[in-house]
Amino acid sequence: MIHHLLRAFLLLAVSGLVLLSLAGCGPDPVSPEAPLVYRLKWLYNMSVVGDLYSLEHGFFAQEGLEVDIRPGGPERDAIKELEIGRAHFGVASADQVIRAVAKGSPVIVLAQLFQVSPLQWIHRAGKNPIQTPDDLKNRVIGITYGGNDEIIMHALLAKHRIGEDEVEFFSVRYDYTPFYQGKVDLWPVYQNAEGLIISEKLAQAGEDAGFFNPNEFGIRFVANSIITTEQMVREHPETVSRFTRALLRGWRQSLDPATADKAVATVQRFDRDTSVALLKKQLDATRTLMMPLSGKDFGWIDSHAWKQTAGIMFEQKLIAAPVSVDEILLSVEKLRRK
Amino acid sequence: MLHRRIFQFLLIYLLALGLLFLFKYSLNLSDYVIPGPLEVWHTATLVFNRYLFDGLNTLSVAIVGHLLAIILATLVAIIGRQASLAGSMIKTAAYNLQAYPIVAVAPVIFILLGDGLASRLLIAALICYFPLLLSFIGILTEPVTDIEHFYVTTGRMRWQLEVKIRAFENTAKLATVIAGSATLAMVGTIVAEFIGADAGIGYSLRIALYQSNIAKVLVALFLIGIFNSLYLTCLEFFGYLVQKKLKISTGETR
Repeated sequence: MIHHLLRAFLLLAVSGLVLLSLAGCGPDPVSPEAPLVYRLKWLYNMSVVGDLYSLEHGFFAQEGLEVDIRPGGPERDAIKELEIGRAHFGVASADQVIRAVAKGSPVIVLAQLFQVSPLQWIHRAGKNPIQTPDDLKNRVIGITYGGNDEIIMHALLAKHRIGEDEVEFFSVRYDYTPFYQGKVDLWPVYQNAEGLIISEKLAQAGEDAGFFNPNEFGIRFVANSIITTEQMVREHPETVSRFTRALLRGWRQSLDPATADKAVATVQRFDRDTSVALLKKQLDATRTLMMPLSGKDFGWIDSHAWKQTAGIMFEQKLIAAPVSVDEILLSVEKLRRK
Repeated sequence: MLHRRIFQFLLIYLLALGLLFLFKYSLNLSDYVIPGPLEVWHTATLVFNRYLFDGLNTLSVAIVGHLLAIILATLVAIIGRQASLAGSMIKTAAYNLQAYPIVAVAPVIFILLGDGLASRLLIAALICYFPLLLSFIGILTEPVTDIEHFYVTTGRMRWQLEVKIRAFENTAKLATVIAGSATLAMVGTIVAEFIGADAGIGYSLRIALYQSNIAKVLVALFLIGIFNSLYLTCLEFFGYLVQKKLKISTGETR
């Protein structure tokens, strides 16, 4: 027995050494030779047009930076990669950031990309349209259990005093068949991406699509933002500043209607499966969701929305203690002052 | 047999957990990336009962899916063992089916069967039937010459008898491969639940991953390991009983 345990301990020690040496194989902290790694939240699509535009039009290079933009996906988490040291910058949604900060992760938000959350619910607008929260009663609402759409829908129902027994929830996945079949009335989508694809399919079948936007009914849940670590900001403020400047320049230009064709061409080089016509529509929708109110710079951080997001998460017991968001929101203005 | 397997599993699980904590504290990672021991314990106390029932749900589907796979593999192997055109086509179809990644086939299955029990069963069966099939075909195509010769020369050989002789002579191999494929049945069921079902431990795992809650994932993995060990031990014990009975009935009482 003791012999077995000793062997197990030895195995643990050897495996630990191997694992630690492998962990050290990630990108080095900023060095002139190694490119900066920027981990996106999702696959290449119109929601990352500004990131790709900055890369393709040499904005990073003009700032003296070499940047490796890596696509995200359901199994990728930029925050974890930042902490382990496999990425220098990333994109994460506010709920991810707040969860991470609540557990001691040293994340800093540099800029907020979406000013209005693209996460909305698509529905058939023809018969019994859904225009107010009250219209949700007696409907079948798709939610991703564990996803941020679940948080948003619970918050919306609570805010408008709609009992959860007055609606029916349906657990959604990537396959939209239950929505097409009419088994589900509302389906959560990124309005500027798959929302438009589903709208087109409904239009081909002679049906009109509508979007139920919780933002219009008082739930301002923040979506994607650009993040890095406290260590990066503390030890390499100049690199952080140059990276953010190049990135936001790319975003501003890509969303400018005057350079729309260039923006579409840029995304199409990475996303060959989406038609140019659809990409143009997606660009228009993305612009509407991302452009800040007049007088604000692109990337402006809506701290009130962040506070509301953190408050909702605390109310729903998704974080154990309240999170002070002011400490993690660096913003472009603060970065300039640093 | 059971206590040894459970002990071995616990040892491996604790080693892996220790490794994870070593990684966490060596690199000074936050609880978001890897939760601390206290958080894992606290989460376990919160979700253990619910996950236990989810695990039982998954295990029951895995057992039925495994049975389906055994039936499917037996049927395909019986037909596929022949050198005829039908046998060859069945083999080709069975091999090609295995070449498709289940995540690509799953949406079609969910469209046809919905996201209920039937889809989970089918996916579990599809994932674990292939190793069964390969072994079954191997066993059923290999003649047991010294026994079969008698029936062939006396003109009494039928396909049913041929299958019986070959299966009987390879009972130990069959028991091993059936027990071995049980793990794949569990994996298949969990994959099905992860992709599209709305019940079982795979579904709970999916939710935990959406919430970036590694502590819940660790609790789920613990229960999956326990249930898998239980099922494997039961199958091995059942295989042992069958072989023992067969030896007694043939007078081989060593």
